[in-house]
Amino acid sequence: MNPLELTLGIMTAVGGFVDISELVFAAKAGSMFGYALIWVFVLGTIGMSVFGEMSGRVAAIARQPVFSLMRHRLGLKLGLITLAGSLISTLITCAAEVGGMALILNYLTGLPYALLAIASVVALMASMWILPFQWIERTYGLLGLMMIVFALALVAIHPPWAMVASGMIPQVPRGLSPKELLTFSYFVVAILSAVLFPYESYFYSSGGIEEGWGPKDLLTNRVTCTVGFGLGSLLAISILAASAQLFGPINVSPEIPGSSALEAAIPFGRGGLLLALLGMLFAVAGAAVETCMSNAYAVAQFFGWEWGRHVKPWDAPRFTLAWIAVMLLALLIVLTGVDVMSLVEYAALFSIIVLPLTYLPLMLLANDRSYMREHANKWLAKGLGWLFFVIVTVAAIAAIPLYLLTSGGQG
Amino acid sequence: MRWMLPVGLALAACSKGPEADLPSISQARSLGAEWALVNEQANAGKLTKTYVAAMRKSIREQLQTRASSLTQPRSPYGDEIAALMAEPDSAAPNALRNHAGKLKQIEDSLESA
Repeated sequence: MNPLELTLGIMTAVGGFVDISELVFAAKAGSMFGYALIWVFVLGTIGMSVFGEMSGRVAAIARQPVFSLMRHRLGLKLGLITLAGSLISTLITCAAEVGGMALILNYLTGLPYALLAIASVVALMASMWILPFQWIERTYGLLGLMMIVFALALVAIHPPWAMVASGMIPQVPRGLSPKELLTFSYFVVAILSAVLFPYESYFYSSGGIEEGWGPKDLLTNRVTCTVGFGLGSLLAISILAASAQLFGPINVSPEIPGSSALEAAIPFGRGGLLLALLGMLFAVAGAAVETCMSNAYAVAQFFGWEWGRHVKPWDAPRFTLAWIAVMLLALLIVLTGVDVMSLVEYAALFSIIVLPLTYLPLMLLANDRSYMREHANKWLAKGLGWLFFVIVTVAAIAAIPLYLLTSGGQG
Repeated sequence: MRWMLPVGLALAACSKGPEADLPSISQARSLGAEWALVNEQANAGKLTKTYVAAMRKSIREQLQTRASSLTQPRSPYGDEIAALMAEPDSAAPNALRNHAGKLKQIEDSLESA
């Protein structure tokens, strides 16, 4: 294992962990419920580490991408339904990320939102066309590390650390009215969905195959998924905790994505504001690339086309056309003028619904010794895998009723 | 389950009155408080002019959306949201917090009713 490669992998995972949904839900959750929802980020991150590690291991050993597995394990009909659900939810997420990028660029430049959305998509497509896979992943992941300013801001505002730590224990705050309890439950589901977005494992495992992972890479996979995702999650928790400290007491429950940047501006001034906005911009841009490519990976793998960024774009023409189409469709959605916050909510809602169907075949294959040999899931991975499968299934069933009953978390 | 979304949205659209307006009141209250925070930090020299202008524009647009979605615009909360929107961009943070505070009171009284 090359220590430099490992360090870069971890840093990329940290910088690439947070996306627009986590930014929005973390800030709102902190302002509305104080530190009481931190445990959901912890739980979701453990789940993401479990499924991410599993998908990376399957990529390294069975060399099977997620959607190829899905077609074989679920059959064509159920596989197609899952594919369609995943494509829709990931396309909405991609549109939310593109809209988020345009908004953040608007805070930085003051230029018109629609123009910035078009410029963002052109820049993203150029980077996806020109850069090889590893550089795409690292460029956005490493630049997203500027988000560390949120962790530093949290330290600078001196939060009640004991309360922050107690937020890591699963809990429901006492004294909530039935309505508040429903809103709390909605945020539990929304945060779980935002942390466990299915595109993350499609992108991660497809990336493993792009990079030619084999058994020698299993340790890198495990460390990246546990340490990288864990540290990345700390950034989202920092946003939540700073929001609880700064926004909650003054009745702000951030309605605009740009409000999160105030968390860094309050202790550090303009420098903090700029670092926060740039970190958010690159983190969201990275997520836009991941969602776009995930959809292209999904379609190409399901139908058995040539795919990947390890080949020249014209050597995998249907895959290339797929990611170009996804990005242009995302731009079209943004240009309709739909509110980014609404897109974020729809993305979380649809993603959690398709989540169980995408994780089940992956877990079944990771359990299968005929494919995975001695690298098949052991008791711990099996136990955690089934536990999280039950959790995401319950969350998927509860998602739409909670969304309707709480007007999308508004109470 | 997906059939529930249009059904729920249709039901929500049909319901009228303060209960149906609560989410908009709550969002307007938060937007007023966010505006006050932006102006306070801007006055302290901690924000860039571009960011401040963009945030104020977004807040105004969101407030306009909330105001136009009210089922009872001629109501104490409708008047309060209109008064908030009538404030100048660089309004004093305390004036904005005053509007947000009044909306919070209305929100609390409607929730406890």
